[in-house]
Amino acid sequence: MNKELEHEFVKHLEKHQNIAHKICRIYTNDQDGHNDLFQEITIQLWKAYPKFRGDSKFSTWMYRVALNTAITLYRKKKRNIKTQDYDTVHFKIKADDYNDETEQHLKLMYDAIKQLNDIDKALVFLYLEDKNYAEISDTLGITEVNARVKMNRVKTKLKSIINP
Amino acid sequence: MDELDLLKKDWKKQESTLPHLTYDEIYRMIWKRSHSIVKWIFIISILEFLLGTILNIVLADDDYWHRMEEFDLTEFTIVAYVISYLITFYFIFRFYKNYQTISTTDSASRLMKNILKTRKTVKYYIAFVLISSGITFLVALFLIIRNHMMTVEPTSKDMHFDTMQWILFIGAIILILAIFLGVIWLIYRVIYGILLKKLNKNYKELKKLEM
Repeated sequence: MNKELEHEFVKHLEKHQNIAHKICRIYTNDQDGHNDLFQEITIQLWKAYPKFRGDSKFSTWMYRVALNTAITLYRKKKRNIKTQDYDTVHFKIKADDYNDETEQHLKLMYDAIKQLNDIDKALVFLYLEDKNYAEISDTLGITEVNARVKMNRVKTKLKSIINP
Repeated sequence: MDELDLLKKDWKKQESTLPHLTYDEIYRMIWKRSHSIVKWIFIISILEFLLGTILNIVLADDDYWHRMEEFDLTEFTIVAYVISYLITFYFIFRFYKNYQTISTTDSASRLMKNILKTRKTVKYYIAFVLISSGITFLVALFLIIRNHMMTVEPTSKDMHFDTMQWILFIGAIILILAIFLGVIWLIYRVIYGILLKKLNKNYKELKKLEM
């Protein structure tokens, strides 16, 4: 029984691991941080897995648990994280895919996202993942109206960081 | 165009640069937590050993050895050092072994066994520290008293203890020893207690999954 559960869980996570990796990219600044957060997300997912048992899609459930883990961990570590520390290993953009100007602009955008607070990062992440407001509100446990309002604020915040 | 929409396009392209873990790597990760606790136990034991050694070297200057000679404790001190270092080395080795086994363990039941083993090792280690501190204390005291009795000639009857005085004297020693060991025990409770508690929690979680 337990072995089956383990196998089932690891199979699910292997398939959907991109979700966790992308969250790690938003919330961490280097490879070590990425690995630590990924591991913590894995552990939290595994601990919560017995309660999951298919009442929603695995990926939907995973978004919720993984983001909560990142938000909690980020809060604990807040003081140690330097938002300016931008590691080029993250968001590696192939030079031939973009012209210099776009590349520069994207880098600024990613830098700006790194400076947002934990909840705002979660909003941006879900937005980039192409989630609609119903899904965003469901994942973060806020109302849809609240999600819209917050998202608009985040957009304004991002603009003001990029064009001070 | 919305800034974020530009980013959204790039976000999809980023997917190809994401790392990909295999089934086995993820599987091992589920059990990693105990691994890091045991690693800390290992690191703390080494730090403790280093701190003890440094204190010994700093405190044991010529003056110290001179005093030891006065009390006729030189041999005892050297023997006590050698024995305690040997036993401490053994424990560091055991902690390292535990750390190594746990980091390569991939089944829940074996991990549970290893957690119990680590807890036992830590308990033995604390017992060793307490017992050796107690013995060192008593032996040193005994040697000092014997030395004192042999070198100092009793000049008057006052120098001899009567029964009541002996009882008080022994009572005082027991009290001092108890406080001394109590403080050591407390320090170890704090250092290893926290880690052991976490390890225990992890063990219970694993057990729940086993059922």
